Amino acid sequence: MGTYIIRRLLQMIPVILGATFLIFTMVFALPGDPLAGKCGERPCPPAYAAEFRERYNLNDPLPVQYAKYVANLAQGDLGETSNGIPVLDQLKARYPVTAKLALMAIAFEAIIGIFVGVLTGIRKGGFLDNLVLISTLVVISIPVFVIGGVSQYFVGVKLGWFPVTVTSANPSFYELMLPAMVLGSLSLAYVSRLMRTSLVENLRADYLRTAVAKGLTRRRAVGLHALRNSMIPVITFIGFDFGALLGGAIVTEAIFNIPGIGGYLFRSIRARDGASVVGTVTVLVIVYLFVNLLVDLLYGLLDPRISHD
Amino acid sequence: MSAVALLAAGCGSGGSEPEATTEAKTGGEITVRGCNPENPLVPSNTTETCGGNVIDAVFSKLVHYNAETAKPEMEIAESIETTDNQNFTVKLKSGWKFHDGTDIKAKNFVDAWNYAAYGPNAQSSGYFMEPIEGFGDTQCAGTANPDDPCEGFTPKSETLSGLAVVDDTTFTIKTTEKVANLPVRLGYSAFAPLPDAFFADPAAFGDKPIGSGPYKLDSWTKEQSIELSKFADYAGDFGGKVDKISFKIYQDADSAYNDVLANNLDITDEIPASALIDDKYKTDLPDRNAQKETGVIQTVTVAPVKVDPDLADPKLRQAISMAIDRETIIKQIFNNTRVPATGWVSPVVDGYKADVCGEYCVYDAAKAKALYDEAGGFKGDKITLSYNADAAHKEWTEATCNSIKQALGVECVATGVVDFATFRTEIGERKMKGLFRTGWQMDYPSIENFLAPIFATGSSSNDGDYSNPAFDKLLTEAAAETDAAASNAKYQEAEALLTQDMPSIPMWYGKTTMGWSDKVTGVKITAFGTIDFSSVSVK
Repeated sequence: MGTYIIRRLLQMIPVILGATFLIFTMVFALPGDPLAGKCGERPCPPAYAAEFRERYNLNDPLPVQYAKYVANLAQGDLGETSNGIPVLDQLKARYPVTAKLALMAIAFEAIIGIFVGVLTGIRKGGFLDNLVLISTLVVISIPVFVIGGVSQYFVGVKLGWFPVTVTSANPSFYELMLPAMVLGSLSLAYVSRLMRTSLVENLRADYLRTAVAKGLTRRRAVGLHALRNSMIPVITFIGFDFGALLGGAIVTEAIFNIPGIGGYLFRSIRARDGASVVGTVTVLVIVYLFVNLLVDLLYGLLDPRISHD
Repeated sequence: MSAVALLAAGCGSGGSEPEATTEAKTGGEITVRGCNPENPLVPSNTTETCGGNVIDAVFSKLVHYNAETAKPEMEIAESIETTDNQNFTVKLKSGWKFHDGTDIKAKNFVDAWNYAAYGPNAQSSGYFMEPIEGFGDTQCAGTANPDDPCEGFTPKSETLSGLAVVDDTTFTIKTTEKVANLPVRLGYSAFAPLPDAFFADPAAFGDKPIGSGPYKLDSWTKEQSIELSKFADYAGDFGGKVDKISFKIYQDADSAYNDVLANNLDITDEIPASALIDDKYKTDLPDRNAQKETGVIQTVTVAPVKVDPDLADPKLRQAISMAIDRETIIKQIFNNTRVPATGWVSPVVDGYKADVCGEYCVYDAAKAKALYDEAGGFKGDKITLSYNADAAHKEWTEATCNSIKQALGVECVATGVVDFATFRTEIGERKMKGLFRTGWQMDYPSIENFLAPIFATGSSSNDGDYSNPAFDKLLTEAAAETDAAASNAKYQEAEALLTQDMPSIPMWYGKTTMGWSDKVTGVKITAFGTIDFSSVSVK
């Protein structure tokens, strides 16, 4: 187990380097340049443009730019955005917000999703099962900006139950509630469907029949054996989803004006702001790798047949 | 009630009493939609609106543009005098202070303008100092690096020879050529005075500017908010009523709009497209919205003749202009948030004359076709109308092309260029053929600003390489006129020449729409499309 974790951690280094280089190349390859819009509707004067290029190493060829970037990165310096704000400061201010939102969304989708999934899985074909099947289909087919916009308008503006947008740099639980539910709703549908299918399949498995035949109550058999095994795909999905949510729910963050990573990443890509994009993505890759490792370790706990040694 | 008030006022018996009840309250705090400034907040280095909105409130200039009419009114200047439009004497009012308590002196202007002009300082609005004598000597002209004229080159002079401090409250400006509207230009933010503290540490200043305006900047939390509070020692006539203004930075117009609906935000200067449809904002915010024309014009420029000779014939250009159904496009695509253009100058400026473009800017398919045939038709294979695809131009350029296609029976294609930077680069390198979209937002409210920078031979924004000696001559004459009306008449004459040559096709003038919460009152839109902070108050 210990060697497994160390091996996985060491594997992360080339992945991080490779990912940052790829992102760097891609941002570099995008047409357009970061000077667009700096001076309003007209092109920037040459002296201004020249100083800007000099300051952000835009005159160097790509490998030199990347080398300079990695050298700074090794010292913990993530560079500056094109409007002169240290990227690190931005990430420090924004990641906690996004993490909080992601955790709330995950909690929402996991608790309700698994509960609904188990309920419908046990009573397959019943009224509740059909209801959930149809309602999750509806949720999956509606784009998130529609769910977000509509819920913001009706629950926020019209009914006034929730704040319309996030207005502070450090949003409260209550402020993030509506966006978290919007964000979690889509995955909630997936989680409950995944849970249901997985459980239904396991309920038909031989080992469960054996367990019941040996005298275990059905409740215990389902709870102890079927449920644990059925959780594996669900945990995989939730783990992946957590990584994705930390990457920023671009649309949801924009709708609710959440000062998180999503909006920042989106804006940085549009502004051709290489340093911000690469910095954000680097952190993101690391988070993904750790979540992945965690999910893999959880497999072992859920199903002892999966061993890491 | 108002009738009674009018009567009372008419009789001259205590008319002030009913007025007092309607007098707006002072004090209170408001929140305003903001966006993220692109550059440090230095007046001579801010040319985009996100930073500009803040700069406007924080810095006072020699003149202030009237919020309603855009006419210049004296702010820090006591007087700006000239007899020949070339030598100007500026006298300052006394008692003005910067936010750090130091007095505003003549040298604060001269120093600031010298700093803005000096090439190696790389200020984005340094070119506003161009009319001042000696500007050329402060510029970089290095040839070592084609992208950077300042590399390995030190300009001859660090200061503009045309500026001289006479005493603490007087300085003189000498321009290279005659400039009739110089006093009008001096209200632009690039001409704001800078305190000595700026020169000690320009970088720190950019984060927390020390201005001279009615509001001072308390804090700027990057990408979050900018907080302003009333400056107690503001000595001018354009102070604000509210105590605090906080710009809340939004990424998205929709969320700001929804916050206004829920009274979480007081003013938004941008109504999202979704709320403009069928004038939804008017039902959402009854009596809490306003719309006003601003000094913005959208045009379609014809590529320079030597780049694309197919469109050289003015008759052909006039026919194309006549084939565009502006009214319908504005109605269907812009929800009536534009005004069809009838010339090249925005109606908000002094000197505007209606219908300069005449019949050529009025849709008439039959006449357009007749003129098109008279011109011998289009020789090329198809007309292209290029736009930058990173903003919302696709719909209207396609509609424009369709209109041309239907009226003239010529193939017309709207062509997207990936983004604004690429688009402008192609135009700048004279590689762009056919027609392309161009927009102009005025820097200062003068008819000259809509003509000289765009159509004078060799000027900086002359994308179509328009050159007409008669036009240039009229501009020079207009700049030399000491009488404003006579000067405007000359500019109008020059504008009329554009109708003959059609270097660009006027499309429409811009409008700004705002909405506000039920907590505030007196929201007015300036001719620049910004919020007039001197009139806003909390209910």
